[in-house]
Amino acid sequence: MEILAENRAVHADLEPAAPCSNHYYLNMGPQHPSTHGVLRVLLEMDGEYVVDPQPVLGYGHRMHEKMAEHKDWMAFMPNTGRMDYAAALPYNHGYVALFERLCGIEVPARAEYIRVITSELNRIVSHHLWIGAMLLDMGAFTPILYTFDDREQVLDILEDVTGSRLTYCYFRVGGVCKDIDDRFVEKTRAFIKRQRERFDIYNKLVTGNIIFIKRTEGVGIISPEMARRYGVTGPVVRGSGIAYDVRKNEPYSVYPNFDFDIPVGRNGDSYDRYMVRLLEMEQSLRIIEQALDQLPDGPFLGKVPKKLKMPTGDCSFAVEAARGELTYYLVSGGGDIPYRLKIRVPSYSNLSVLPELCQGMLLSDLVAAMGSMDLVIPEIDR
Amino acid sequence: MGDQERGKLNVHSYSAELQARLERGAPGELVVHDPGPLFKHKLADEIFNLCRANSLWPMTFGLACCAIEMMSLGMARFDISRFGSEVFRPSPRQSDLMIVAGTVNKKMASAVMTLYDQMPSPKWVIAMGNCAISGGPFAVEENYNVVEGVDKLIPVDVYVPGCPPRPEGLLEGILKLQEKITGVRHPFPQRKISDAPRY
Amino acid sequence: MHPDTEKLINALRGLSLTVEACDYQQRGYHFAIDAESGKLRALAEVMLEHEMFLAFVGGLHVKPAIEIIYQFATYAGACRFVVRVAVAPDNSVPTISDIFQGANWHERETRDFFGVDFTGHPNLVPLILAEEDVDLKPLLKKEEALKDTAEVRWAAPVEAKPEVEKAEQG
Repeated sequence: MEILAENRAVHADLEPAAPCSNHYYLNMGPQHPSTHGVLRVLLEMDGEYVVDPQPVLGYGHRMHEKMAEHKDWMAFMPNTGRMDYAAALPYNHGYVALFERLCGIEVPARAEYIRVITSELNRIVSHHLWIGAMLLDMGAFTPILYTFDDREQVLDILEDVTGSRLTYCYFRVGGVCKDIDDRFVEKTRAFIKRQRERFDIYNKLVTGNIIFIKRTEGVGIISPEMARRYGVTGPVVRGSGIAYDVRKNEPYSVYPNFDFDIPVGRNGDSYDRYMVRLLEMEQSLRIIEQALDQLPDGPFLGKVPKKLKMPTGDCSFAVEAARGELTYYLVSGGGDIPYRLKIRVPSYSNLSVLPELCQGMLLSDLVAAMGSMDLVIPEIDR
Repeated sequence: MGDQERGKLNVHSYSAELQARLERGAPGELVVHDPGPLFKHKLADEIFNLCRANSLWPMTFGLACCAIEMMSLGMARFDISRFGSEVFRPSPRQSDLMIVAGTVNKKMASAVMTLYDQMPSPKWVIAMGNCAISGGPFAVEENYNVVEGVDKLIPVDVYVPGCPPRPEGLLEGILKLQEKITGVRHPFPQRKISDAPRY
Repeated sequence: MHPDTEKLINALRGLSLTVEACDYQQRGYHFAIDAESGKLRALAEVMLEHEMFLAFVGGLHVKPAIEIIYQFATYAGACRFVVRVAVAPDNSVPTISDIFQGANWHERETRDFFGVDFTGHPNLVPLILAEEDVDLKPLLKKEEALKDTAEVRWAAPVEAKPEVEKAEQG
């Protein structure tokens, strides 16, 4: 005992803040297989239990907001596809729609339908990726092989019209850059049929799996009140039982023409968030099906002046991206280059729940909770 | 790298380590400790290289968009395991290939270098995508955060251009790396398309 | 529309704030408020009471003072508020991170980009930028590019129809 006391005196400056604390720090990331890229979480741990998880952002910061202030809309378009690369088309959509709203540009009906079809296909792709990645985090390797197989089917379809597999730059102010043809329609219908059959496989493989249920049920419960304090949106807030979807709340494009439901969860745990996304894929298929049936003829790109002349003022446009509400807020001082573009990304608010959500959790549960949020880090850091 | 560029990177010092590396010289002249071959015997060395080239273990290290294409490469359609590289290791200490898949920024730079140092020799680096090659779309005048090319930090063996490159592109990069290691293009021996078996 | 919009507007007017109704089709939000920094916390509390959530906090570098922009929305319907607050002469704004916890990161980010001091923030350390870049403030404008507040506001009153805009286009 005396030696201990002596030691303490010598190393007085190394004494932990709380005298009898067994807490230690664990650094998770920025290179970690289950942080989906470059998220870093600094964990204060007590044994296996997480006391205080503090995410450290910025490892994927790519200056999108700064670049927007130096480029006209067309030059900035590629950037919009590189924020949330897992579902880039809603980002394209919000950005071009923002300029259409600000400058009062009309979009041909056919273009709006094409936008909706491709955006919803992109949402499905994003959820494919998420199912695979979340299950991979939790130690199941098999599902990702199935979902990536399905994912490639959609990517083939999208590649035909957009020209790229991932970081799309397909929409234009006033329409889209390339028309879809019969082959696209045919392939999309074939995909819808195929995907409906695949849900069975997902359910057999994952949804009913007792290990999966035990690891996600009751883990990471976000209450509706907590969601509101943090501004949580997208499937995460729908998992908590709030039917908030920008497509319904502030309908944009031609979404009012379609009949679709918003799946909501009951408990707000990781399992509910999983179910919400799975059901959302089916709803997206429904939207695509109706859009293909209603697809009007006509031009796919309206008449737009080469150089946009923006009025001075501010303008905001919200769309439902795959991860939640995406809002572009533009302040214009005239001319064709924005004065300031603020991009509200959904995962940013969704992730900010983490410190409160995961206090007192087991470390392995934190991984399940984080996986169920569907994070894309370069989107958060922008 | 010109003086001007280096000055630009140095304006806001972000890590002493990075500074030291930058001062060591241009990417090609980076001093990397190479212990040399295990045996001083040419045939043994060739056999070792052949084995290494056909079992490159990449590190699970996704930075941005390109990481998704890297994942696609590991999955069923593109199936990187045909070329012996499917064993993605989460730890740098178990891997010998670093695929820098995405944008490296100031905050990430020191982590990238630490990871590289933690990999056991012999080790190789593929710079995947334009960001890792030169900063890509982010090498703009008002750039304040993105490192314009990962070769400013660590030596790069193969560059795979694209934004992002297709999985086939990365596959070609890996074949190129195998060629670099062994001196012959794999799969070995090469077959003409007309001789390929029909299934 | 938010079910209790009337109530909310009245509560905000109770704080002697001017609530400007905007054309949603033109601007993408329903109401705009120019608030003084002293009233911000009271405003945030009213928003929290009336079931609004904080969409984002962002900065805007204009003359004479940097503006902080808050956008509030609701889960219950379509109702968006844009609140503009000019920072005090000592470059500070009161924090609302204890009312809307989601503001915590947004405020840290705004401090990173604009160097604005959010008084009362529990942990105002760099979030996005590296710790060495504390004083970088990348989104501040250069002197020649800096505009006046009036230059980035809608010129005509709200009644301006989109048709008028289009005519200017042609």
